[in-house]
Amino acid sequence: MRPARRQFRYESTESLKMALFQIRANKTRSFLTALGVIIGIVAITMMGTAINGIDRGFDKSLAMLGYDVIYVQKSSWSTMGKWWLFRNRPDLKVEYADQLNRIITDDPHSELQIAVPQMSTYQATASYKDKTLEQVFSLGTTHDYLQTASGALSAGRFFTLTESAGSDMVGVVGDDIASALFPNESALDKLIQLKNQKVRIIGTFRKQGKFLGLFSFDNQIIMPLGAFEKIYGKNQFTTIRVKIKDQSRIEPAKEELLGLMRRIRRLEAGQEENFSINEQKAFKSQLDPIKNGIAIAGIFITGLSLFVGAIGIMNITFVSVKERTREIGLRKALGARRRTILLQFLIESVMICLIGGVTGLGIALLITFAIQIIVPDFPVQFSPDLVLASILVSVITGVISGLAPAVTASKLDPADSLRYE
Amino acid sequence: MTNNSIIIMQSLCKFYEMGDQVVRALDSIDLDFKLNDYAAIMGPSGSGKSTLMNIIGCLDTPTSGTYELNGQQVADMDDDELARIRNREIGFVFQTFNLLPRLNCLRNVELPLIYAGVSPEEREMRAVEALKQVGLGDRITHKPAELSGGQIQRVAIARALINKPSIILADEPTGNLDTATSIEIMKIFSDLSKAGNTIILITHEEDIARYTRRIIRLRDGKIESDSRQ
Repeated sequence: MRPARRQFRYESTESLKMALFQIRANKTRSFLTALGVIIGIVAITMMGTAINGIDRGFDKSLAMLGYDVIYVQKSSWSTMGKWWLFRNRPDLKVEYADQLNRIITDDPHSELQIAVPQMSTYQATASYKDKTLEQVFSLGTTHDYLQTASGALSAGRFFTLTESAGSDMVGVVGDDIASALFPNESALDKLIQLKNQKVRIIGTFRKQGKFLGLFSFDNQIIMPLGAFEKIYGKNQFTTIRVKIKDQSRIEPAKEELLGLMRRIRRLEAGQEENFSINEQKAFKSQLDPIKNGIAIAGIFITGLSLFVGAIGIMNITFVSVKERTREIGLRKALGARRRTILLQFLIESVMICLIGGVTGLGIALLITFAIQIIVPDFPVQFSPDLVLASILVSVITGVISGLAPAVTASKLDPADSLRYE
Repeated sequence: MTNNSIIIMQSLCKFYEMGDQVVRALDSIDLDFKLNDYAAIMGPSGSGKSTLMNIIGCLDTPTSGTYELNGQQVADMDDDELARIRNREIGFVFQTFNLLPRLNCLRNVELPLIYAGVSPEEREMRAVEALKQVGLGDRITHKPAELSGGQIQRVAIARALINKPSIILADEPTGNLDTATSIEIMKIFSDLSKAGNTIILITHEEDIARYTRRIIRLRDGKIESDSRQ
């Protein structure tokens, strides 16, 4: 077998050299042919980076919700839109948080750490002097809130147990509110108007960004529950935020919370829950199908452009076989076997595809950098997997598009080919 | 037929179907060539000499009959076996030279050795040797476009010689050359014959055939005459 392997090596080297010769000898043609692959690979890698970016933006957003916080609410996140299912459920009460905390602290084996009540409205209006902000997210909670939420303060402080218990009219605002109402001055100690009450700002949050581009954490104002009730009344949307001890044990934690909530709600065995336990994973399961849909559609569409490129290569390789019929005849006369000829044309089309693929990859990389510089918020992410995948795709494209012409070439009759004009 | 025959053909036939007609390109050919034969195959166009050359050169297989080349039955070999035979046993010289224009002389000459699995170092050594043999030792790195017709054909002869074939098969080797260059090329063939090579020429020129020691005339797929001189 050894001489055969050596022969294969020499023949492949020769084919590789000839392929490079051929590409160099027909620069314009090779470039135009490779262009199809370049465009295809750029499209596919850009699609890939976009999908990667969406993924990353997604994880960033989900991290804002906290991987170790679960939420007891009237409705479920994973069946959003089906509000009628939850409409007749009784509202949650903020007192549940105290009841939960009593049970949790009594049980050393509990998976849960702390429960924090929260009332909120999306419809708040905040004003200061002649400036008014609509659609502010107003939130009432206790001083324990920060244990269950992401976000650091950029100035001032959060409210204390005393302020919380005393229902003091103080609040901490998000960065958007602070910069909109107080563009040129500090927001601290200012009194902002919420409905017919005034709330003193004691702290501001650092900018956090939007959650999935839908909801902004920078557009909220957080105050003690008592203060919130004084302004908006008791009938606002209630959430119990529950922090768990170990985020890897989220499932048993959810089980435990479910049991506790059933106890508090006094549900009989077999009776259906009239509350929902939500976690950030629900968003993932909601959005994953959408993301996958985008990915499949995107890859299909961009794959079409690569397919067109492949047809171009097939076409040009057929032309090349036709043009070099005599050369094929000669090589066969000198002892080239079928697979030698097959290999030669395959290598040629793979080379063109590889050159196109690497060029396309370079262009995609440049575009990605450009996007990151011009629009830093736009989620694009280049990965080594993507590089590998596109090189693999180029090679496969080369083999697929070169196969038919190469087989044709390998089957040419040597005597006829030698006489071909 | 003695045991120093290098080619033995018996009742060799090649038929082509053209529509519903059968063309008998070669009809029951019995022919043998001995070691160091220097023969010319002659005949008008359509006589079957190209077909005969293709079969001798293992570029084509006969419809029926036997063909033994250097002790090997080649009539029913498959494509890859034929490729091997062409590589090892036959050195081709063509009317149209058939050098690859992109490659220099050295690369053109070493081409058969690539398909024989010879290492790059040995290939180069042997190619230089073969080029020297045809008097082109100083044109090694030239490309075909930089050479005259006679020089190109000498490169082709060097290529035919490089794998030390059993026979050198030349198809109208002087067809594209002027008289002076033709004489020069035929002198090379004569020298190669004197050196012990077996050479078969296909030609329609009497002047060229006269250089050989044996003339085989074909007509309508049959041997009309076979004379040694």
